[in-house]
Amino acid sequence: MNPHPAPALERAHDDETYYLNMGPQHPSMHGVLRLLLRLRGELILECDPVIGYAHRAHEKMAENRSWIQFLPNTSRIDYLSGMIYNLGYCQAVEKMASIEVPVRAQAIRVIVSELNRIQSHLLWFGTFLLDIGGITPFLYCFDDREKILSILERVTGSRLTYSYGRFGGVSQDIDDVFIEQTRSFLTRMRKQAPMYHQLVHENVIFRKRCEGVGVISREVAHDYGITGPTLRAIGVDYDVRRAEPYSGYEQYDFEIPTRTGGDCLARFEVRIEEMEQSCRIIEQALDALPDGPVKPAKFIKKLKPPAGEFYFAVESARGHFGMHMVSDGGDVPSKIKLRTPSFSLLSSMSEVLEGTMVADTIAILGSVDVVLPEIDR
Amino acid sequence: MSSLDLSNLELGSEEAEYSSVGFHYIHRAQAGRIVAVAEAFREAGYHLEMLTAEDRRTDLEAMRLVYTFSRLDQLDRHMVTVDLAPEIPGAQAPSLAGIYPAANWYEREVFDMYGIRFDGHPDLRRILLPDDVEFHALLKDFGRIEDAPDEGAANK
Amino acid sequence: MDPVNGPPKPPTPVRLPVLNAAEMDERIPFVASPYVRFAVLDDLVNMARANSLWPLTFGLACCAIEMMAAGASKYDLDRFGAGVFRPSARQADVMIFAGTISCKMAPVIKQLWDQMPSPKWAIAMGGCTIDGGPFKYPNQYAIVEGADKLVPVDVYIPGCPPRPEALIAGILELQEKITGKTPKSKRHKGKRGNRT
Repeated sequence: MNPHPAPALERAHDDETYYLNMGPQHPSMHGVLRLLLRLRGELILECDPVIGYAHRAHEKMAENRSWIQFLPNTSRIDYLSGMIYNLGYCQAVEKMASIEVPVRAQAIRVIVSELNRIQSHLLWFGTFLLDIGGITPFLYCFDDREKILSILERVTGSRLTYSYGRFGGVSQDIDDVFIEQTRSFLTRMRKQAPMYHQLVHENVIFRKRCEGVGVISREVAHDYGITGPTLRAIGVDYDVRRAEPYSGYEQYDFEIPTRTGGDCLARFEVRIEEMEQSCRIIEQALDALPDGPVKPAKFIKKLKPPAGEFYFAVESARGHFGMHMVSDGGDVPSKIKLRTPSFSLLSSMSEVLEGTMVADTIAILGSVDVVLPEIDR
Repeated sequence: MSSLDLSNLELGSEEAEYSSVGFHYIHRAQAGRIVAVAEAFREAGYHLEMLTAEDRRTDLEAMRLVYTFSRLDQLDRHMVTVDLAPEIPGAQAPSLAGIYPAANWYEREVFDMYGIRFDGHPDLRRILLPDDVEFHALLKDFGRIEDAPDEGAANK
Repeated sequence: MDPVNGPPKPPTPVRLPVLNAAEMDERIPFVASPYVRFAVLDDLVNMARANSLWPLTFGLACCAIEMMAAGASKYDLDRFGAGVFRPSARQADVMIFAGTISCKMAPVIKQLWDQMPSPKWAIAMGGCTIDGGPFKYPNQYAIVEGADKLVPVDVYIPGCPPRPEALIAGILELQEKITGKTPKSKRHKGKRGNRT
């Protein structure tokens, strides 16, 4: 198989450097990423990420399907924040076509989105620690995650890739059992979140592998357009839910956790706190859940938004997910560009990983939480 | 960091209604001026949020590049479009990789999907598709459903 | 050397009769106590192989998450012997295709498949590996529509993504295929008396 090395890596090298190919199949849990590394011993001199192994032509499919037919694709772009992407797409189209969403549907959207966010962070927690070498937390967090998945399965019918949103609402209303199960999950999660923190936070190996490792500076973050928990771990409190509120987020009271270290430990702590804040938002949404319809008053099959260019963004578990939509007035999009947060994160890795050790690469890539199909689309 | 000064850059600027379209301003720039535009945004503290292209050869007789610049501390999004010659290969624009490192991968993706070349890009090669393919995937005349081979034909 | 008879001829190979299980029960007397049984070696080896399938860690896309969930605490693939995921293809028995196969990934898959030593099996998990799944449309340029275009697939598990229980059912189906017998875990003495 021709490795197609980058021209940068083809420069003349001395006897002490060698090339290492990591991936696209490798034990860490990031997906089909390939890193071409030029190493001197264990030290990385240059790093070239090669992507495209999960390219499934989402953007081309968007141009060949109607607005409603693209809906199932949206969940599969980033399957760990599938609900957030799905509902974000619905919100974007609603904004384009000026469709009103009933308040109960907005509150339901917030509840399921935050459950999705907790589930994504739990999975990240388990896989990050698995990459560093701790196998036990993986089993703990998947157990809690299963509880979220069964709650979401109750109302949507699927565990991972949802097509729950509809233009103008959601497809099904939530019932009392859903509310009761969510509340009992919140009670459980309030006990579990400190447990997750204590499980590993004082562990010597964890601290040595994460503290001071993979520091991303503000300049690098600004240069590469990094958003999400990685940016918040540097001290910038940017969150799309606060900056550009949607779906009623402005009425909920929540904090945006930040740290200043910018290293793997800071990103870990930010995500644990984000889970707690998500619990807070869900509780407020449940307490203030309004009555009313959840489905659109009139479901338009052949939706024809007005012509023009539009941009809409939501906060996924990984950062700012933006959709640039171009409509020509027809029922098939002219173009949808998916601006995914992991793309920006991974593009900065060639700079961040230089000068680190190979073992730190795993910790850094795990801590920034990239999902490859979101990058490759 | 200075405040945003887009005068003398030959931009056709229009204010946009944020609540309907999602951005505050839309500017039409010339390809030769995009570097100066990007530098002005960078000076003023904006980051490059997105860079993409559109195949508008049928309706606008151009290949269009779309840039989005945005701020983290306040909500202010500017969309900049650049219209290029409607030829592939042929359409090209200056690269912003020296000003915004984020543009490095975005421009590689635009090259991969549309065939637009960027002058001054340090490493312009394909990023998503395999290196040896000959097509540019998101062009409108490629990969149309109408052109599909018959059902049952061998697939790759 | 004997000048009259020439060099000694090699002994003629003894051909043992090939028996099936019923014939063996007839012809080989069952003399040992009930605690010792004579079994065909192949059966034993197949039983060992089926109950300790080592999958290759090969998550490509969304189905990988359900594969991880199947290996995790609630669904526990390990109790079927298939929980030891090996990152190296040289140590793996079964390749579970979990996710869409893109054209760029196809040569990698072929290389990994070739690296796996025989006997090896392939499980196509999810719609994408069966025939392209949700990404299949006329003139799709980016994916390989089905894992069986690359390797011979033994078990297909439909779903998008299939539930972890579906993956476990697929593993049990593969176990049945390897041993030729329905595994006890799958035998269901329900009212209908059949396996489903």
